[in-house]
Amino acid sequence: MNFWLELVVKTVLVLILVVLPVALVVIFGELKISAHIQSRIGPYFAGGRFGWAQPLADGAKFIQKEDLIPAGADNPVFRFAPYVVLMGTFATFVVIPFGPDLAAENLDVGIFFLLAVSSLSTLGVLMAGWSSANKYSLIGGLRAAAQLIAYELPLVLAALAVVIQAGTLSLSGIVEAQANMEIFGLGIHLPYVLTGQILSFIIFTIAALAELSRIPFDMPIAESELTMGYLTEYSGLRFTMFFLGEYAAMISLAAVASTLFLGGYYLPGLSGDALKVAGPFILLGKTLILCFVFIWMRWSWPRLREDQLQSLAWKWLIPLALVNIVVISIFKVVL
Amino acid sequence: MTDSPPDGDLVDEAADSVEADAVETELEEIGFAAELTELVGASLWVDEFDTIRIYVARENWVESLRLARDEAGLTFFGWLSAVDWSTEVAVGEQVGEPDELIERYEVVCRLSSVTSSKGAHFFTEVPKDDAIIDSIVPLFAGAEWHEREAAEMFGITFVGHPYPLKLYLPDSFQGFPLRKSYPLLSREVKPWPGTVDVESMPAADGPSTTNVEAGDTGGDE
Amino acid sequence: MTDIDARAAMHLSDASVSVELETQGMTLNIGPQHPSTHGVLRLVAKVEGERVMSVQPVIGYMHRGYEKLTEVRTYAQITALVNRIDWVSGFANEIPWIRAVEKLMEIEVPERAQWIRLILTEMTRISSHLLFMSSYPLELGAATPLMYALREREYVMDLIEGLTGGRFHPNFNRVGGVKPAAGGGSTQKKVSQDLPAGFFQGTREAMDRIDSVMDELDELVTGNEMVRARTIGVGVIPPEKAIEFGLSGPNARASGIDFDLRRDGEPYLPYDQVDFDVITEQTGDSFARYLVRKEEIRQAVRIVRQGIDNIKPGPLQAKVPRVLKVPKGQTYVRTENPKGEMGFYLISEGGRIPYRVKIRSASFCNLSILSWILEGALVPDLVAIMGSLDFVLGDVDR
Repeated sequence: MNFWLELVVKTVLVLILVVLPVALVVIFGELKISAHIQSRIGPYFAGGRFGWAQPLADGAKFIQKEDLIPAGADNPVFRFAPYVVLMGTFATFVVIPFGPDLAAENLDVGIFFLLAVSSLSTLGVLMAGWSSANKYSLIGGLRAAAQLIAYELPLVLAALAVVIQAGTLSLSGIVEAQANMEIFGLGIHLPYVLTGQILSFIIFTIAALAELSRIPFDMPIAESELTMGYLTEYSGLRFTMFFLGEYAAMISLAAVASTLFLGGYYLPGLSGDALKVAGPFILLGKTLILCFVFIWMRWSWPRLREDQLQSLAWKWLIPLALVNIVVISIFKVVL
Repeated sequence: MTDSPPDGDLVDEAADSVEADAVETELEEIGFAAELTELVGASLWVDEFDTIRIYVARENWVESLRLARDEAGLTFFGWLSAVDWSTEVAVGEQVGEPDELIERYEVVCRLSSVTSSKGAHFFTEVPKDDAIIDSIVPLFAGAEWHEREAAEMFGITFVGHPYPLKLYLPDSFQGFPLRKSYPLLSREVKPWPGTVDVESMPAADGPSTTNVEAGDTGGDE
Repeated sequence: MTDIDARAAMHLSDASVSVELETQGMTLNIGPQHPSTHGVLRLVAKVEGERVMSVQPVIGYMHRGYEKLTEVRTYAQITALVNRIDWVSGFANEIPWIRAVEKLMEIEVPERAQWIRLILTEMTRISSHLLFMSSYPLELGAATPLMYALREREYVMDLIEGLTGGRFHPNFNRVGGVKPAAGGGSTQKKVSQDLPAGFFQGTREAMDRIDSVMDELDELVTGNEMVRARTIGVGVIPPEKAIEFGLSGPNARASGIDFDLRRDGEPYLPYDQVDFDVITEQTGDSFARYLVRKEEIRQAVRIVRQGIDNIKPGPLQAKVPRVLKVPKGQTYVRTENPKGEMGFYLISEGGRIPYRVKIRSASFCNLSILSWILEGALVPDLVAIMGSLDFVLGDVDR
């Protein structure tokens, strides 16, 4: 196909048909799940009894708000910051495999590309914090920079353990390796989380929560201290961009975790054509389960303080991840 | 607390011992007040309505409080404030006997103990034209805010206070609100209509068993 | 710098300010409108990175001039005013004032009225501490205990409203007892107003519910590793400092000072006829203050249960003259409010209006320690410490 046509088709399919609806579902899920955890009902006006249209209504409300830019703000940086965050997040969806041949671009260095590109969002957060001309935003931006950089390392090291076991950097290759696993000559089809990667899974999940700035790691936002941290001065459509970006990042990291540790689009018993049809839904199911766990953790726990957060990353997660890599390598050689 | 004079004809033993206890507590308190006064070197004390008031001289203010804290065990800083004794009041009622009143400010500090229920109020008199007194912040760090409030409300100067800034009032405020000569602005604009609301008297045999007829209450609200 | 480092070491956090790095501090203005200052409190904080160098609290945004007001209102009118000082524990504010007036007038309060006062005071204590239990975890970041605690608090507020007519401003005390009758006028009969029907049953159910929500909150908050990491060792107040600043109530008891005015002070309500424990902790940090308040809820539940078992029939108000004139004298009455020691020093010159009333409010003294304790703390700890002191701006500013 023509390169440009292919580009447009892939953009539409991936971004508009996958990211947006799933983000809306996850936003709705967060509203309802948080409500039931707090023994209330949640939205029940917009869209009939279940309030399913609440995210849409929220989006419509935000779009029609006044576009406020603080007087002392650095204008171009302020305007551009949300898009930098979004770019970093959307680019990760390019390599996630939805089915046996259903990745937008099946790169051989899939996971490497994904982790590299997703750290662009850090830059956007710093831009937002600095340009807002607000001391609270500045503190939030600084905290965010420190936190996001600190937690990149455990994320990468945990993913590295999977790469060592699978033998390939490509994400579809990792799913194939889980589908074709053989231990002691037995053809076991188990996801990596159950075959030695449990520690990496835990480290990856904790680091993912920190990358998303969700409670227990939401010091950058820290609503009760900094009134929304680096997001304080953002309103209307720009705020929606950040908001959507956060949920898109949550879906992307959950999808990556499902692919790396839970087997991705593969379920034992399915193969070939059945997998091509059912694969995206299987991946979606696993992603939503992980998102549910993220939401559950957010509403149950308080937030960690900045220095506790940093010591968790540097003193615990990184050494554990390194030890984990050594152990996995030994097993890979021996078994 | 009821004020019943000791009755020599009491037959009930239990009542007897209660009386004895009450008298003993009273003696103990009187004893404590007298002891405390002697300790701090004051000359006058009053003990009525379960409240001990000890009047010290202005020069001995800090020293008396230090003795009370270190020797008498009154380590808990309750509060510090002032009273304005004046005959001319802009709003409110006058003193009972205006002719016998000496116009002054009284600075009062309450100290109490955290191991028993003992406590005392230390008063010192400050003349109106020379409203200066030593600060007790070196003794009790918590007195800082209390002295700032007394300073801005009464116009008393506390010598040696580390941050003599206004506490409640804005910096540009003129006047000293809690002085008796300071008027209530709303009263200047609109005079007080007088007291119209009077609580009715409860019925003779207790209000929980009767419905009081409207006519008996004397036409009140 | 070494001074700050010594104070910083007190705050038990690992972060330290590097001496070689020349950082520029900034002045951060926290408040008066801020999500986690309990009302309109302004803190002018000099911050370097994450560490607070000095804090100057600016108060007075809620100053309503109570002490001047009391010089122009009659005794009955002031009773309607004083429950607005600490608006979270409305009924408990009226008690020291009304006791001061009753002491000068030498009136004996009938037993039933005393018991009703005791039950309502302890219910107010439950309500105030439940509000603390809901807002403190929220400041630390946990959003769920808020809903659980406030839901149960509604049952207590309903009971108080059913009896007194007001959730926050009950206006229920009268000189000599509690409010004996309602209504009246030229065409209506005055109706004697005692405890409403279903009060005892409702109270027992509410107390059971509070016991069960306290178990839930124990699981959710007290045992949580992150709550402990945020509050243990944070904001330690040594007992000598606590006494020096006049800290009272749960704040002092968390530092090891075993003093409770219900048990150790001058008797003002029949607390000697009920069994309860006075909770103290030894560490003096924010977690200890949280624990003391949490346990005090359970003790208050105990007291309320005993109260509704012990209450006997009788009159609700002693005979007082129609026009209240308080004889000349001075007295000080202090009570154990939920926030701490609240006291009224009443100077009466024998008229219908007091000459001078000094209101000793608990939160004023509790808050005065703030600039001492926040020196060298981290910015997130600022919120944790302020929340644990549990002050109300109405109490601070009067």
